[in-house]
Amino acid sequence: MSGFRLVTSYIRQHWFIFLTGIIMVSVASLLMAVIPRILGDITNQLHHGTLNRADMARYVKIICAVGLLRVLTGWGGRILIHQKGRTLTYTLRRRLFEKWNSLSPAYYHRHSVGDLVAHALSDVEVVRELVSMGICQAFSGLAALAGVIYLMAIHVDWRLSLAGLGPILSIPLLVKWLGPKIKKQSQRSQEALGSMSQIVEEVIDGIRAVKAFGTEQVVIGRFIGTVDTIVTEKMRFVRLSSLFSSLVPLMVNLGFVFVLGYGGVLVTLHLVSLGDFVAFTLYITMLRQPMEQFGNVLNIVQRSSASIKRVETLLNVDSDVIDRPGVLLDRPLQGELRVQGLNFTYPGTDRRILENISFSLKPGQTLGIIGATGSGKSTLADVLLRLYEPPEGSVTFDGRDILNYPLARLRDGIAYVPQDGFLFSTSVLENICFSDDYPDRERAEQCAHVTAVYENILNFPEGFDTEIGERGVRLSGGQKQRVAIARMIYKNAPYQILDDSLSAIDTSTERQILQNMREVNDRTVGTGKSTIIISHRLSAVQHADEILVLDRGRIVERGSHRQLITLRGLYADQWYMQAGIEPGTGLEEELREPVAEAERDLNEEMAQLETGQMEEAA
Amino acid sequence: MKNTNATRSTLKILLPYLRDYRGRLAVVGTLVIATVLIDLVQPYLVKEAIDTYVSITNPNRTAIIRMALAYFALIIASCAMTYYQEILLQQVGLSIVRKIRIDLFNHIQRLALRYFDQNSSGRIITNVVSDTEALNNFFTQFLANIIRGSFSLLLIMGFMLRLNVTIALYCFLLIPLVATITVFFQKRLRKVNAEVRNRLGIAIGFLAENLRGMSIIQIFHQEKKQQQRYNERNRALMRATIIENRYILSFFNVTELLGDLGIATLLWFGGGAVIKGTLSFGVLYAFVSYIRRFFQPINTISQQMNALQSAIVAVDRISTTLRETPDIKESPEACAPHVKGRIELVGASLAYRPGYPILHDIHLTVEPGQRIGFVGATGAGKSSIMNLVTRFYDVTAGAVIIDGVDVRQWPLEDLRRSVGIVQQDVTLFSGTITDNIRFFQPEISEERVRDACRSIGAESFILRQSQGYDTVLSERGSTLSAGERQLLSFARVLVFDPRILILDEATACLDSNTEEILQKAIHRVSRGRTLLVIAHRLSTIQQMDLICVLEQGKIVERGTHGELLRKQGNYWQLHQSGVMQLDEAA
Repeated sequence: MSGFRLVTSYIRQHWFIFLTGIIMVSVASLLMAVIPRILGDITNQLHHGTLNRADMARYVKIICAVGLLRVLTGWGGRILIHQKGRTLTYTLRRRLFEKWNSLSPAYYHRHSVGDLVAHALSDVEVVRELVSMGICQAFSGLAALAGVIYLMAIHVDWRLSLAGLGPILSIPLLVKWLGPKIKKQSQRSQEALGSMSQIVEEVIDGIRAVKAFGTEQVVIGRFIGTVDTIVTEKMRFVRLSSLFSSLVPLMVNLGFVFVLGYGGVLVTLHLVSLGDFVAFTLYITMLRQPMEQFGNVLNIVQRSSASIKRVETLLNVDSDVIDRPGVLLDRPLQGELRVQGLNFTYPGTDRRILENISFSLKPGQTLGIIGATGSGKSTLADVLLRLYEPPEGSVTFDGRDILNYPLARLRDGIAYVPQDGFLFSTSVLENICFSDDYPDRERAEQCAHVTAVYENILNFPEGFDTEIGERGVRLSGGQKQRVAIARMIYKNAPYQILDDSLSAIDTSTERQILQNMREVNDRTVGTGKSTIIISHRLSAVQHADEILVLDRGRIVERGSHRQLITLRGLYADQWYMQAGIEPGTGLEEELREPVAEAERDLNEEMAQLETGQMEEAA
Repeated sequence: MKNTNATRSTLKILLPYLRDYRGRLAVVGTLVIATVLIDLVQPYLVKEAIDTYVSITNPNRTAIIRMALAYFALIIASCAMTYYQEILLQQVGLSIVRKIRIDLFNHIQRLALRYFDQNSSGRIITNVVSDTEALNNFFTQFLANIIRGSFSLLLIMGFMLRLNVTIALYCFLLIPLVATITVFFQKRLRKVNAEVRNRLGIAIGFLAENLRGMSIIQIFHQEKKQQQRYNERNRALMRATIIENRYILSFFNVTELLGDLGIATLLWFGGGAVIKGTLSFGVLYAFVSYIRRFFQPINTISQQMNALQSAIVAVDRISTTLRETPDIKESPEACAPHVKGRIELVGASLAYRPGYPILHDIHLTVEPGQRIGFVGATGAGKSSIMNLVTRFYDVTAGAVIIDGVDVRQWPLEDLRRSVGIVQQDVTLFSGTITDNIRFFQPEISEERVRDACRSIGAESFILRQSQGYDTVLSERGSTLSAGERQLLSFARVLVFDPRILILDEATACLDSNTEEILQKAIHRVSRGRTLLVIAHRLSTIQQMDLICVLEQGKIVERGTHGELLRKQGNYWQLHQSGVMQLDEAA
């Protein structure tokens, strides 16, 4: 039973409520067994002609009282236990989220969000079923059975009891035997439904391709195939469930037939009183439900042990990235960022993602990082944010190892923009002020100005209070990224990392945003911010103090834009390709300068184009 | 009023489907009546046993045994009948739903692209999957339970009336009481249940979003704030479930209590009658048993009202879809010309919504084998021209003529086989690589698929997959890189070999290796075809025979790369802006 510790400790914690609940539920079941007994007694008295009005009144009063009492105790007990069950779901879900909050991205690489959510949803519910329904049904079933057996043992002939109860006692076994099979088959038919839904989804989403190739008939054929599978799987399910739903009544009826025939004969022989006979027929019908539930409990216990194990595993995971033990440097992050000979391999793999990376970034400077997908750019950002642990001594802030800072200090000191411009489905304001408990509207508006998204936001139905996502507006990729950059700026941290976060923004807006950011930086008093811009588009980094070109985890070229163009290497090739010019066409000279004069008047036009697109997107 | 109309139209759609199964449904009905009858006869038998065989001075033992044996036979039969009847009903339901699903899907496939552009894919998918499933529930749950519930209610009433009319009528007074209580609770329960589902959705949605954005939470050091927010939602959910649970328990217990009180009342009046000798004891017994059985059918019936409601909504949506008529129809005298690949746009205009034209009076002639590039901002009309050439949409004015025949006079299948498209996001289906390339058409040989892959240089990466060509692509090929997916779509083009190829050029990918392979593949694929390219970068378009610059639905400039540069017009400006990635901003 060690696998059930999660549940037993919870029950022990609330033992008083559980005990009260269990007692109440059991009392209710015992009382339920009394009513047929009373009817039996009435029958006996009637049969013997000894019943009078006063007796009758007494019986009626007793039935009313017993009925009321059993309903009240059953009601109360169930409410207590079920409520505790629901509190358990709440507690487990809270603890899961607490745990997940502390786990590093490495964990989320290994586990899909969908799976985790499914655990929080279904496994937790199964545990709840065990605690609330399982306990209630087990004890009420047991009590009902015990009560009936006791009353029968003292009143009724044992042979009759055996004949009547035998078939009914087999119901829990029936449930235990067929229940899991039915459940499994039901899952199969759900899966069949799922695969049909997948086909439909694929076809509808790819309808252009389907129509373009004129392959509607092929697609219809595949669809019919899955529909037929559904029918087959469902029929299998139906066969099993029909077997169950016809066998259970059969067992009850069998008991009844035995009682009717055998009991009837016993009554005529005066071995059993008519009252017992009557009580017995009522017991049979009464026991049906508790017995079915009893079988159910057996299945719940079986099912929940797997769920409990999964939940326990989830709760016992340790984070890869935690504060180092010992005394940490409890001071704000500042000074020069220095990376020296950084090698990095993802934990549990042996492919080196970063190899011998070195650079330094002083306050106020900007570093550009360029490279193809898979060249290690984003990994570098992850390491600087200590989402993954770098090797000792390879990353330092102000001369001190990154590993010696508490995570809280580190994360407070770095602002970051993710590649996809991930936003939460809260209001625009809350998103921009994510780093703040109390949103500062004015500052948020300033940040939105910097990232050229202010006008867009004002055009939303409720301005800065508009909800993002399904309930509110859907932002275009560029808008998302610009809000995410505003969120970074709002945080006002000494270090800033933009991880390919301008990719969905057109080049002229990109230029404007970077320009604004530089201006803000120049205006700040004291030491400026250190900025790292990661991009696959060269235009985003051309102003950087230094540009690193990454290829398969190594720095293959480095220098300023001008130096790299002159170098005529990978960077220069890319520059020409992205600009759509052959080298040596004469345009080259102009392009060496970060901003060619000819482009100036284009800005306006591009801005118009941009707003036009936005309207369209809206 | 609206409700009855909806019900009527639901029946109108369903009746033709039901008609085919009239016979079987009649069998189901008969079997249900028989099994309910056998079940309900129990108390009656006990009453008979008590009154006629047991309580008399000279009990008839053999009669009792005979009765028990007869009932034994009946319950065995009842078991078999229950089994058979359930299977039969489900079979009918599943067959009907199968037929509706296929009809619906067939119909949707016939609809033109306009339908898919106007309706979100989620809505269409819901229609085919969930709405039909709701119908399935209608047959298998609603119908089964309603038939059984109403028959048992009627039969209980019948038995009671047969036993004693006065007491039966008194008992019937319970029906409105039980019904009121049931309706009262069901109504509230439905509301609470909706609230629970709503809050569950919120809590789970929040959880999923936060797990996805966990790195952002950690980087911004906001774990505490988010935890608190999650707790709020989680607690709200808990409260709702506790309330829901209370309603369920209360309903259950109130009916139980009512049952007990009913028995007490019955005993008080009936018992008096028995003492006075105006009522036999057996009859009293039977009434006591029947009165408890009143509750179940009423409860079942009221619960099924939900299934009926959602079935009505579902049928309504299905019939709306079935009423959609395809915009693009094949002309009856359609006849395919010999395909060479000559395209003429003669004053072609297109409006997706009346009054909002996207293309204005486009004139363009493309000779067989010519390569044309289209440049312009998003919304300039590049894709719309492609929609016309493939006849995804029909022109609102003018005409599109391919090889001398108006596309509206082409057989649709021939047209679509003559015009191929390679899109930016490649559509892949769950299936093997081979099947994806030949679009699940077994008449295209595997050898041909392999040849195509080999000639565009896709074979090497395909063979690197776990099962080579037989690798099953999961989640629409998400395991492949964008470049690899693109290569598969090129192979598809080679296999289908259209005369005209539309290329929605993929965005730049910096990986120089793939880039080179892709460029070669494009070259190979476009050889010998009329090529229409929607350009996103200038580098690939320079070699085109003709470049059309589109602006607000008009061709504002046309010429070769050199000519256009010399003109110093729109094209020159685009070129000057350095990097041309206009589409990405959208």
